[in-house]
Amino acid sequence: MKNVILRDEIMEKIKEIKEADIIVGIPSYNNANTIGHVVRAVQAGFGKYFPDKKCVLINSDGGSSDGTTDVVHDTTVDDYGSILVHHRVSKVFKLATPYNGIPGKGSAFRTIFEIADSLNAQACAVVDSDLRSITPEWIELLIKPIIGGNFDYVAPLYHRHKYDGTITNSIVYPVTRALYGKRLRQPIGGDFGFSGRLARYYLTKDVWESDVARFGIDIWMTTTAIANDFKVCQSFLGAKIHDAKDPGADLSAMLYQVVSATLDLMETYPEVWKRVKGSEPLQSLGFQYAVGLEPVSVNIDRMIDKFRLGVKELIPLWSTFMPEEITDFLHRAQNFKKEEFRVTDEIWAEIIYTFALAAHKKVMNKEHLLKSLTPLYIGRTASFVMDAWESSADDVENKIEQLCKTFEDKKTMLIENWE
Amino acid sequence: MSAGKGVLIIMFERLLIEPMDKFLQKIIEFLPNFFIAIVILIIGFAAGFVLRKLFHNIFRAVNIDKISERSGVVEMLRKGGIKEPASDLLSGLIGWVVVLIFAGISLSALQMPTFDKLLESFLLYIPNMFIAGLILLIGHLLGNFLSRAALIASVNAGIQISGLISRFVKFTVFALALTMALEQLGIGKETVVIAFAIIFGGIVLAFAVSFGLGGRDLAREYLEKKLKHEEETTDDIHHL
Repeated sequence: MKNVILRDEIMEKIKEIKEADIIVGIPSYNNANTIGHVVRAVQAGFGKYFPDKKCVLINSDGGSSDGTTDVVHDTTVDDYGSILVHHRVSKVFKLATPYNGIPGKGSAFRTIFEIADSLNAQACAVVDSDLRSITPEWIELLIKPIIGGNFDYVAPLYHRHKYDGTITNSIVYPVTRALYGKRLRQPIGGDFGFSGRLARYYLTKDVWESDVARFGIDIWMTTTAIANDFKVCQSFLGAKIHDAKDPGADLSAMLYQVVSATLDLMETYPEVWKRVKGSEPLQSLGFQYAVGLEPVSVNIDRMIDKFRLGVKELIPLWSTFMPEEITDFLHRAQNFKKEEFRVTDEIWAEIIYTFALAAHKKVMNKEHLLKSLTPLYIGRTASFVMDAWESSADDVENKIEQLCKTFEDKKTMLIENWE
Repeated sequence: MSAGKGVLIIMFERLLIEPMDKFLQKIIEFLPNFFIAIVILIIGFAAGFVLRKLFHNIFRAVNIDKISERSGVVEMLRKGGIKEPASDLLSGLIGWVVVLIFAGISLSALQMPTFDKLLESFLLYIPNMFIAGLILLIGHLLGNFLSRAALIASVNAGIQISGLISRFVKFTVFALALTMALEQLGIGKETVVIAFAIIFGGIVLAFAVSFGLGGRDLAREYLEKKLKHEEETTDDIHHL
C-alpha cells in the first residue's frame, strides 16, 4: 500500500515532534465558523485529562477557501486557568495540512492515520469540525478507553431527538448489528477513538481510491474494526449538536452514499457475517444523562404522498427483483389511510435485505437501485414517526431494539439467497 | 398483298418472337444459376441454424454466461433492458452472420452484372450498417439508462409527472440515435437539422424543468402563503 506524500513542512514538523502519545484529527472543509470551538475543546481536553502526555492536534483540510486553517493556527486556549485547576505540563503540537487524494472525508482521515503512524501514536481520535456541543470531556471519553482500557476502537453514543438519525436507526444500525453481531448504536457517528495499532491496520487496506475515500469512511472504520475482531466499546458523549450540513442536501444522494457504503462492506466480509448469529452488547462507558433537545417538525402528509408516488411509478422497476409478497404489500399500502399507514418492522427488514441482495446480484446500476429506495425509506420514516408520536425517548429506543431483533431474525433470508 | 403480308410476318418475328426467344434463352440460361442461388441460400439458413445451435452449446459449455456476468457485460446490457443471456445473443449473432455470408454468395451465383454491382455496393455498405446498428444499440442502452435515472430523480423530487418525464427522455435519446443512424446510412441527410431541433428543444425543456425544480419549493411556499394564508410544516429531520 503506497503511502500518501505528506508536505515538506509537515515532514519537518513530524521530525521535530518525533513521537506522540495522543493524536486528535479534525477533518475540515470551509468550517471557519465552527472549527475554533472544536480546536479549543480539544486543547482543553488535552490539558485537563492528559497533562503529562505528548498530544498533537491535526487539521486535515480539503482546500478550504474561508480561512479554516488560519482559524486552527490562531486558536489557542490562552487562559487555561479559567478552565483548569492545573496547567498542562507539556506543549500541544498543532498541524494543519491540506490532504492529498480524492476529495472526501476518507482522504482527510488517511492523512491523519499517516501522521499517527509516523509519530507512532498510542491513541487517536477524530472529531467533526462543525460540532457545537463538543466539550473537553469528549477527548477523555474517546481516548481513555484506549490508553487505560486496552480497547482498539471507541464508538460514540449520543442522545438525539427521537426523529433524528433515521437512516442510522432504520438501516445502518439494524443492518450492521444483524450482520456482525455487535450492538454498536452509532456506526456512522463521525467522532471515534482508535488505537495506533488500528490506525496502522487501516493504512494497510487498499481502499483509498474508492468510495471509502469519498464518503464511506465512518461505516468502513466501524465495520473494519468489528469484522477484524478489534476490541470495541462505546462512550456516551451527550448530545450531538452540529451545523446543519446543507438544508437542501439531496436525501436520495445521502441515502445512496450511506447504504452503498454499508452494502459494499458486505461484499468484503461475507464469510464473517454469514457465520454470525444474534448479537451481543458492547461495553458502554461514560455517565449517561438526559439531554434537552430542540423539537423537530415533521410533515407526515407530504411524506406519505412521496411514498405513494414512488410506489406508483417505481413498482415496475422493483418487481424485477422484489418478492411478490412485498410488492403486494406496497400495492395495498398505496391505499392506506393516513391513520392506518404503517410499514411494519418485518416488511422493512425484508425490503432492506431485498435491496442488499439486488445490489449484490447487480440487477441494475447501483446508484439507480439505491436511490429508488428513497420513497420506501420516506414511507418507513413516516410510519415510525406516527408510531413514536406519543413515545418517550426510552420507548423509541425499545422500538429500535425490536426492529433490530427483526433484522436478526430475518438474516437467514439474506444468507440463503446470497450466492 | 402477299408482299405486305410477308413484311408483317417479318416485323412480327423481329418485334415479338425474337425478343421472346432471347428472353426464354436468358431464362433457360439463368434458371440453373437461380436454383443454385436458392440452394445456397437454403444451405446458408441451415448452416446458420446449425452453427447457432452448435455455438450456443459451446458457449453454455464454457460458461460464457457466468463469465460475462462477472465481467459486467450482462449488467451493462441489463441496464439497457436487454435480458437475454450472452450465450443466446452471441450464438444468434453468429447464425445471422453466416446467413448473410451465404446470401452474398447466393447473389453472386446468379452471375448477373446488376446483382454483382448490387452485391459490391452492399458489401461496401456493410460497415455503414454496422455503425448504424451500433449507434441504435447505444441509443437504446443510453435511452433506457437515462430514462430510469430521470424517473428515479423526479420521483424523489416529488414530481407527479415523473413517468411522462422518463418517457420523454427515452424518446429524445432514441430519436437522436435514430437520426444519427439514418445519417450514417445516407438516408435523409436533412434529418441532422431536425435532430438539432430535437436536441435543442430537449435541452431547453431540461433547463426549464431544472429551473422549475430548483424554484418549485420557493414557488409553492409563496403561493401557499398568498392563497391559503397558512404556513406548511416543513421537515427538520436530520436523517444521518
